[in-house]
Parts: sequence; C-alpha cells; structure tokens
Amino acid sequence: MLPIILFAYPILASLVALILDRNLKLELLVLLHALLHISIGIYGFLNRGNLGSMDDLGLFMFLITSFLYLAVAFYRINSGTEHALKAYRIHSIFLMLFIAAMDAACLVKDIGLIWVFVEATTITSAMLISFENSKSSLEAAWKYLFICSVGIALAFVGILLFVLAQPEQASLHLGKIQVHTLSPFWLKLSFIFILVGFGTKIGLAPLHFWLPDAHSEAPAPVSALLSGALLNTALLPVLRIDRIMRNAGMGNLAQDLYLVMGFLSVFVATVFILKTRNYKRLLAYSSIENMGLIMIAFGLGGVAIYAGYLHILGHSLVKAAFFLCAGNILSIYHDKHHANINSLFNRNRTTAWLWLLALIMILGFPPSPLFVSKFFIISAMISQGYILPMIALILMLAVIAWSMMRISLGMCCGENQNKARLPLWTYLSPTALLLIAAILGIWLPAFD
Amino acid sequence: MLEILVLAFGVTLLFASVTNMLHSLIRILVVQGLILFAVTLLKSTQLNWLSFGFIALETLIFKTILIPWFLSDTIRHNAIHREVEAYVSNFFSLTLMSVIFLGSFALAIFSEQQSGKLFPLEFGIAFATIIKGLFIIIANKKLITHLMGYLIMENGIFLLSLAVGGDLPHIISLGISLDIMLSVLIAVLFIKRIKSTFDDADSPGHLRED
Repeated sequence: MLPIILFAYPILASLVALILDRNLKLELLVLLHALLHISIGIYGFLNRGNLGSMDDLGLFMFLITSFLYLAVAFYRINSGTEHALKAYRIHSIFLMLFIAAMDAACLVKDIGLIWVFVEATTITSAMLISFENSKSSLEAAWKYLFICSVGIALAFVGILLFVLAQPEQASLHLGKIQVHTLSPFWLKLSFIFILVGFGTKIGLAPLHFWLPDAHSEAPAPVSALLSGALLNTALLPVLRIDRIMRNAGMGNLAQDLYLVMGFLSVFVATVFILKTRNYKRLLAYSSIENMGLIMIAFGLGGVAIYAGYLHILGHSLVKAAFFLCAGNILSIYHDKHHANINSLFNRNRTTAWLWLLALIMILGFPPSPLFVSKFFIISAMISQGYILPMIALILMLAVIAWSMMRISLGMCCGENQNKARLPLWTYLSPTALLLIAAILGIWLPAFD
Repeated sequence: MLEILVLAFGVTLLFASVTNMLHSLIRILVVQGLILFAVTLLKSTQLNWLSFGFIALETLIFKTILIPWFLSDTIRHNAIHREVEAYVSNFFSLTLMSVIFLGSFALAIFSEQQSGKLFPLEFGIAFATIIKGLFIIIANKKLITHLMGYLIMENGIFLLSLAVGGDLPHIISLGISLDIMLSVLIAVLFIKRIKSTFDDADSPGHLRED
C-alpha cells in the first residue's frame, strides 16, 4: 500500500499543480510530498522489510533522499516569488517526478527496471537544470542529457551482455540470478560496460564532463539533490551488480576498476579545482572528488566498505547543505565568480558561518562523518600495502583542501556594511543537514 | 537472408566513415532503420505479436521516417552548415573502422566459443556499430553530428538486443526506451535551437565569468 501512495502522490499532485494559481501553493504541494516521503522512509526503517520489495541498500539510499528532499522543500518556501507561475509549475512537477524516479530505482530489484528509472531521472532532472532558461543553463542541460544518454546506452549494452552471461533461464531480477552458473567472460565484459555506463552518471572520471556544468547551472536546491541524491541513485545499480561479482568470485576485477576510476576522479577534481573561478563549480568538482573516494573505499574492500557507505551518507548531507549555502550567496550577490564575492561575514553573518561549517565538514574535519570515512580509507590503504597511492591521495586531498579554503575564506573576508537579509528557511535547511551530519559523525551508524 | 541484411548494415558503417555531408549521414540512418525493420520481421517468431507489432512500427516509423525527418528539419531551421566537420580525415576514419571491424569480429569469434547461443556475425556487426557511434560522437565538433553518432550507436544496441532477445524478449522493449531519451535530445535541439558547438568551460581562455 505504501509504495502505491509513494508513486500515486507525485502523479496526482502534478495534476493538481496544473490548476494552482500561486507559487507558494506549489511550494506547499512539494513540501507535502517531502513530508510524506520522509514518513514512509522512517516507517520503512522502523519496520524493515515491510516497504514493498525494498531491501536495506535501497532503504539507505531512500532515506538519504528523504532528508535531502525535506530540507530542499523547506528551503524553497517563499523562494519562488520572482519566478513566473508557469515555469515554476513545470519546475515543481518535474521535481516531484524526479524524486519518484529515484524512489522507483531504490525500490525495484530488476536490473533492467533500475536502468529504466535511472534513465527517467536523467530526463526529469534535465528539465530542472534548464529552469533558468539562460544560454548557459540550456547548454548545461544539453551536455548533461547527452553525456548521460551515452552512459545509459553503454550501461544497457552491459545489461545485454549480462543476459548472455546466463547460460540458461536468463533473468534480470536480482533474486532469480543463479550466480554459480554465470559465464565469467561475459560477466566481466558486462560489468565493465555497466560500470562505465552508470559511472558516467555517478560523475566518475573520465566521463564526468557533464557534472560541473549541470551542478553549477542548476538552481541551488536542484544542485543539492543532484549531488546528494542522484549520484547515489546512479551508484545503486553498480553496488547491486558488485554483490553479484563478489558472489561469482570476480570481486577482484571490480575492486581494481573501482580503484582506477576512483583515483582518476580524485586526480581530475584536484586539477580542475585549482583553476575554477566559479564557486558552484568548485562544489561540483568536490562531488567528483568524493565520488572518487567512495569508489576507492569500495575498491579497497574489508573495513573500507563501511567507510564507503559512511562517506555516501556524510557527503550527501554535507554537500547538499553546502549547495544550499551557495544558493544563499547567489541570492545575495547575484554572481557565481568567487573573485567578485567578498565580505560575506559583514553582509550575511549566518550564511558565512554555515558556508564555513559546510567547508570544514566536507573537507573531513571532526565531527564530520567524512573524517571517520577518510580515516578508515587511509587505514585500509596502509594495511593493504598501498603506501605510494596513499601518499598521492593525501597530497591530492591536501591540494583540494587548500584550494577550497583559499576560495571560501576569500569570499567571507572583507569590509562591506551593506547587510543582506534572507528568509529563515534558507538558514534552517542547511543548518539541519549539517547538524544531522555532525550527529552521525559522533554517533556512528552501523551498516549491516 | 539474415546474414545479407546484417552485412548490408555493416556496409553502411563504411559509408558513414567516408561521408562529409550531414544529409548523407541521415540517408545512412534511413537505410539502417529499414534493415532493422527487415531483421525484426525475420525474428518475428521469437516475439509475441504485441511486442512484434510495437517493435516493427517503432523501427519503421520512428527510426526510418520520423527521426531522419526531424534531423533534416533541424539542420534547415537552425541553419547548420551542411558539412560534418570532423576532427579526423576520412582516411583515418575508414582505417579505424576497419580496425573496429577486426576487433569486433575477433570478439565475436571468441564469444561463439563462450556462448553457443549467439550468432557471431550479428554480434560482431552490432558491437562494431556501437563503437562506431561512440567514435562519431568523439571525433566530431557539431552537436547534430553527436546526435547522429548516438543514433548509430543506438541502432547497434538495437541489433544486439535482437541478437540477445531470444532469451529475454522484454529486453528489446527496454532498449526501445532509449528512443525516448533520443526524442528528448532532438526536441531540445529543435525547440531551443542551442548553438551548434560548445566551448569547453574549463579550457584555458574559456573559463566562465558568470
């Protein structure tokens, strides 16, 4: 019953949105969806196994989306006054459909259907990215659509090869696949295509090109969801196939590929963070870095797998808060060029503090959960003898930290007494996300 | 008969490697659509009548008529220059296509030993088409050519899904959802009329000031 409500609401609410005559009503409609979403998520957490076919991994991703969506829904209240009703209506409808597509990807157990829903997230979120309807946002949406379409197509090739890997009674349902009968040759080939295909959507190098444009051009609440929720949804099918690879005794190939793509992603992020001038692109490259770290964690295996899940959780919460703060800064200065932004402390002290707190937590200082996850990753690298890669990783992380601190502190310092005020929700949403992240960083959750 | 159709499909890839005009690429897409329709007819026994009807109509109307017509219209409306404007020469493109064929057939022959249920010629050509589509996307400047590369890649995936579909017929229908994505891409290009090429936002000298 609950899964039906979960998908019926966005469809019915989309129809209702067509007749609503004020932006605030649209915002409340989305807020109601977010409240319903988190209620179902909490119910699913308290009564595990009672939320349709959703397993623990799906529920984990679903709950992250719930918290982020609620924060974003509150953040949007009274923020749409300057937008035309028609455009805002389309935006609200696609926002609900985007969330529904991500929910469906978490819920289903059929690899083919997961693929369809990940594809659906691409179409719905592209409409959200191009909301500003400016030349640059249209270009970003096109780039996103096109590169992710190619990735999705490659992932489909992987799924076709996965069918070939099954000598008899082929199935795409995770519960029906007979792992011991899989052909190693086809399974390996299939996994490479699936990893590269969904890796494009995760934002892993070398197929990350869409991510900085899309995340920087989208409105702040959308960027928060793209970075905090969508990247996880794209990771979900990879983690599901990963379990099959491990059970089929081919975990080593998967781990090696994760390590290569992870390191490459952190390297690419390091290089581009050094030269970016747009603070939203800075956060986008930070997402590439963090997705790279997550892949490194899964590549290392053992205790680092726990670090991987913790990193997914911490990164989602903190990065969403960071993007919402970036939205506040954009509302105050109407400029994305960090060199044109200074004296944030004088203009809006609360946003400045939140911005710096988000910075500290994304860099992995305590009490951020990323501190623990990075610690476990480094420990796992030492224990497995990856000393030189570990040194290289620490150096790259140091360069990223230096670059992000230099830019962020530069934006906060300076003299300007012209105060700027923002709605209360624009402070409360990132504060709540950072607070949850800090609590999780102290009280570490256990993952089965 | 299937062998002849699949070989003809392979020949279209060689033509795609030597053409410089956008309209020639569109004609190649029309021919590929017709071949895929004919292959679907030959495979009708593997599918139920509903899937067969849907897939046959999709290949004939969508791939062979609508998409090429929309592409031609977009080129005309957006006043796009009629040449492909590739980064590489035709000679290089043709040589690479031969290498792609060689690699794909090597994989196909090897794959026959791994899985007896696969027809190597079909698999080899389908795989070569996917790689060729990717190459067109990488080796060309224009967005419309990227789109055509994506279409060629998608045709290769369709051929591969027909080869695999005997085991799991609904996978062919899943693959068709790629066309929804394609429709969105074409709609964006057609309605929004975004410019024909992009600058790299992160390349030196092109860093965004916004």
